[in-house]
Formats: sequence, C-alpha cells, structure tokens
Amino acid sequence: MSELAAGFLGTVALFAGRDEGGLAEVAAMLRRRTIARGEVVWNQGDDARELLIVVDGALSASLQVPGDRVVEIGTAGPGDTVGEIGLLDGGPHTMSVRAVDATTVLALGRVELAALLAPQDAAAFGLRRRLAALLTARHRNQLARLSDSLGGEPSGPSAGDADRAFAELERCGPPDSRYVRRMATFHDLDSLALWGFLTSGSYARCQRGRTLVAEGAPSTACYLTINGAVEQVLARGGRRIRVGLAGPGKAFGYESLVDGGPSPVTAVTRERALLLVLPHDRFTQLFHGEDAVSRVFLDVIQRELVATLRQTLRPHARLAASL
Amino acid sequence: MCRILAYLGEPLPVQHLLYDTDNSLVRQSYRPRMMNTFLNLAGFGMKAWDPASLRPDDPFSYRATTLPSFDRNLRFLAAKVAPTCLVAHVRGVTYSDEAVVAETNLHPFHFPGARVVLAHNGHLREFRRMRYALVEHVRPELAQRIEGTTDSEWIYALVLSQLDDPFGLPETGELADAVAAALRILRTLRVERGIATSSPVNLCVSSGRNLVATRFSFDYGWYPPEDEMLETDLPYVSLWYAVGGEYGEAGDGWTMTGDDPPRSVIIASEPLTVDHSGWLEVPEYSMLTAELTAAGLEFETRDLDV
Repeated sequence: MSELAAGFLGTVALFAGRDEGGLAEVAAMLRRRTIARGEVVWNQGDDARELLIVVDGALSASLQVPGDRVVEIGTAGPGDTVGEIGLLDGGPHTMSVRAVDATTVLALGRVELAALLAPQDAAAFGLRRRLAALLTARHRNQLARLSDSLGGEPSGPSAGDADRAFAELERCGPPDSRYVRRMATFHDLDSLALWGFLTSGSYARCQRGRTLVAEGAPSTACYLTINGAVEQVLARGGRRIRVGLAGPGKAFGYESLVDGGPSPVTAVTRERALLLVLPHDRFTQLFHGEDAVSRVFLDVIQRELVATLRQTLRPHARLAASL
Repeated sequence: MCRILAYLGEPLPVQHLLYDTDNSLVRQSYRPRMMNTFLNLAGFGMKAWDPASLRPDDPFSYRATTLPSFDRNLRFLAAKVAPTCLVAHVRGVTYSDEAVVAETNLHPFHFPGARVVLAHNGHLREFRRMRYALVEHVRPELAQRIEGTTDSEWIYALVLSQLDDPFGLPETGELADAVAAALRILRTLRVERGIATSSPVNLCVSSGRNLVATRFSFDYGWYPPEDEMLETDLPYVSLWYAVGGEYGEAGDGWTMTGDDPPRSVIIASEPLTVDHSGWLEVPEYSMLTAELTAAGLEFETRDLDV
C-alpha cells in the first residue's frame, strides 16, 4: 500500500515538491478506506479526527442551514482533500461530507498531520506553505459561490482607493508587547520568534472608512490588525455583504500575496485601526523563509485562514436561509 | 459577561428557553461556551408577555440574585408560563469588590408605567466619566426612576427618552429609531470626553409586541492598558438568532422549524443548543427588528452605523 500510496501522493497538491523519502514517510501514515456511494463520511459538528485525500470517486460537502435545509458547498475529486479545518484548529467539522460515488480515500489522522508539520525542516515548511495555498484556494471558492449568490458585477472601491489609503497610512511605533501577548492569536507561539515576527514589518494608524484592499486587484501588503476592526466585504450592484471582520490579532490582505491572484474581497476599516503592515517583499521573505520567525508567520496565516473559512460559512448560511 | 435572550412568536413554554436545551440560558450562567472568561452568577431576570393572562400588556416579571439553576420558584414558573414574547437575562460581573450584586441591577429594566423593557449584554468602559452628562439627555421623570448602579439602566432611560411617549406603546420603527438615537448620543458624549475604548452594547428591547436587538460595539478593538476585561472583549461580543415556524424538540434535539413567512424568532447571546446548525450569527454592527403581525413575523436585519 505504501508504494502505491507514495506514487499517488506525488500527484496530490498538498504534498507537491516532497521528495521520494518524504512521500514514503507520508504514505506510511495513511490508511486506505473505501466509502460506499451515498454513505455519510461525517456530519457537520462531528469531532474532526482525520483529513481525507480522495484517490478515486468523489465526495460532496454540504452545509446544514436553519429550516432543515442543506446547501451543497462543493465536491472533492481525485487528489483533493477534505476535513483539514477541524484537524488544524481542533474544532468540529464545518460541513457534512458524503460519498457521491463509490470512493476510495486515504485518511491522515490528527496526530500524524501534527507530526508532519512539527519539524523545522524544508519538508514541514513546504507543507505549511501548501496548506496555506490550499486553504486560500478554498476561501476563494467559498467567496466565488457567495458572489454568484449575490449576482451582478463587482461594485466596490477601486485599486486606486487602496493605493491612496496605503500612501496615507500614518506610520507609528509598535504597540505595548504586554497587550499583544494577551491576544489569542499569539498564544502558544514561541515568544522570541513572535517578537521577531511582530518587529518584521512597520506599524501604522489608519482612519475609519479607508479601503486598504480592493477586490479584483492585487494587495499592496498583508495587514495584521492590532487595534480596531477592518471589515471584509463583497459588493455586487446595490448589495453589499460582510464576509469577515478582522479585529485584534486578525490578518487580512494576504490572499493575493499567497497565490498571486487578485484580492477576493475588499477590506475597509470599520473602526480607526492600528495595523502591522507587511509589504509584498517582506511578506514574500517571511512566507518563503525557513526560520523560527517564518514559522510563527506561517502559523499566524494558517490560523487566520482556518478561522476565515469558518467565518465565511456564516454569510453562506444567512444567504441560504433567506432564499 | 452577561447573557441575553429574547423571544417573539408562537406561545412557547419558558422552560424550553431557560432549562430544556443543552445550552439553555440557565446553563450559560454556569457553563458558558462563548465569552467564557467568567461565569454569570450575579442574578437572573425576565419579562414575559402572555396574551391569555390578565392585563396582557403587562408582562410577568421575575428577578432574583440567586442562581437560576437552583431557583425552584423560577423552575415552577417557567413550566407554567407560555408567552408570545420574552426578554431574559443572566447577569455576569467581574470578580471584583467594586461589583454591586443587587436586585436593582438586574435586567431587563422596566420602569413603572413604561411599556418597553431593555436588557443589555456588554458594558460602557469609563462610564463614570459620562454618567452625569447623560442627565441632560434623559427626561427628568425617567431619571428619577433610576434605582441601580449600572450603565445599562442609564441606556434604558436614554432609549425611553427618545420615544415620543416614553410610557406609550411604540411602533417597531419608532423603537428602532429610539435605540439608534440613544447610541448616537452615547457616541457623541464619548467623543466629547475622549472616551475611545471598546464598549459592547448588545441590547434586547421590547414592548411585548415587537423586538429590537443590536449587536454593536463602540470603538471595537481598542482597550485601556492593563485591562481586566481584555480577554472577554477581544472577540466581538456574540449574538445569534433562530427564525422560523416554532421552536420545539424534534428527533434528538431542539430546533426551529422552517416556515415562510416565519412566525417565531429567538435571539440569544449563544445558541441554545450545542449544535449551531439551526442558528445564524447576527452580523457585527447590526440591528434586528421583529414584529408580530396577522400575516406572521416581520423580521429584518440591517447595518447599524451610528
């Protein structure tokens, strides 16, 4: 099974770039399972114990919404993975998963995933980056579905608005470290490396109502809210829905820096804000670095993406329930 | 952090809301699942309107500083009363010798003769710096009814003061406007005094026929140094709702049945069930309005920008 799995794993995006030994290491951790057509793999709200890699067949993910209604969110085919959100944040599964056809999967447990992510070596850093890319792609898919539900053309602020807001940021000193350490986002992170991360960018104040990221344009920087709040919105025609709120300890504007695509949402300061600003080049250094500071940074991005994916399901549910 | 609960719709036994579900309001007092930095042990209060009761415009009233989980009187009452509207609250205060645990500080607030009640989940930081500036915005006949020491009771008096008739029965639109106007006054007074720290104001306001709720915070994300409430307030104070036909036990859990138009709504700081799938999170900076009409429940969510 291990040789067969290792061969297949070479085609799975999550493990792309891993050498033969690395693939064999992963393959030895996997359990192969066959799921009958129509079988429920897990229900929304169940404890997350494993992620599944689809070998053949297909799985569908659905969201239960009020009124006993179910909304199909997406399907996963060969090479795709499902179930990583709960595995990464320790929360329950966000959606129910069912086999569309007779499906073969490889299951990777929580402990095994943690073991793959734990080392401070190239393979673990690579996996962290690919997880970030995978979760970003999933976030984009969720937002695209939301946009489709809204209909109409994007009608938010322009890239010029974001450039102006970036130019008008009022540079300032760092926040009190005792305050920053109390944020849940930074709990459990190595103190010295965290400080390295928090001093790797610059700090700036921004007035309320400024557009820092424009949907459809690349982001100038990745931001981390230290104080205040930044709302992430989709605007279509006359409709505007908030898909996230980046309060203290939350990052935004990173999607286009992770995968090179356009920003999937617009980010506007809802409150005046104090921000950690990581311009494109600094983001790239941290994202592709392989030291303790980069590890903290990748942890922060991963936590942010997982939280964002959970949060983005809420407007999905509200929209579905209102239809 | 306190917990609020409001219900408007088909007659519903109070015990379903307070006791029966696996994350009922009473459970949230001693085992909160969200905002769980301290327990809510400073008392319980409720107002419940039953059209079949004597003087149906006057709600059943109950409040006690005892723990609701051990309050047999409340359990007996909850099993007997099936209101069409309810506002309930469990109070949480910091473990501090400055906290005043007293009946006069229990929500929902309800001045004698008034038709509107209010419960609050949140707190106005630095309230002492603005308390007496509020006097000029509160009608004298209401100011003299303030009995307790909370910021919430002042918010109540301020909301009532924005109504054409503070002792009348307001339409839903007027009540919503009064709540927004009260928040604007608070905003102005805060700005004048340079108060710019996070102050959550999740409100449930009701006349028994309609309901207005807010999920809102002034200056969210800004905190004073060495703040003892920081961990509580770093996340935006939560508020959820379930809207549909009627709330009841079905299969292995409690759920709001689907119905269009809806006939009932529950608004609560936390979902009343551990399984959240039947609940929707109220967006931050929002106001909800609900009104019982002959055609069903009119329900609306809107952005609240004050």
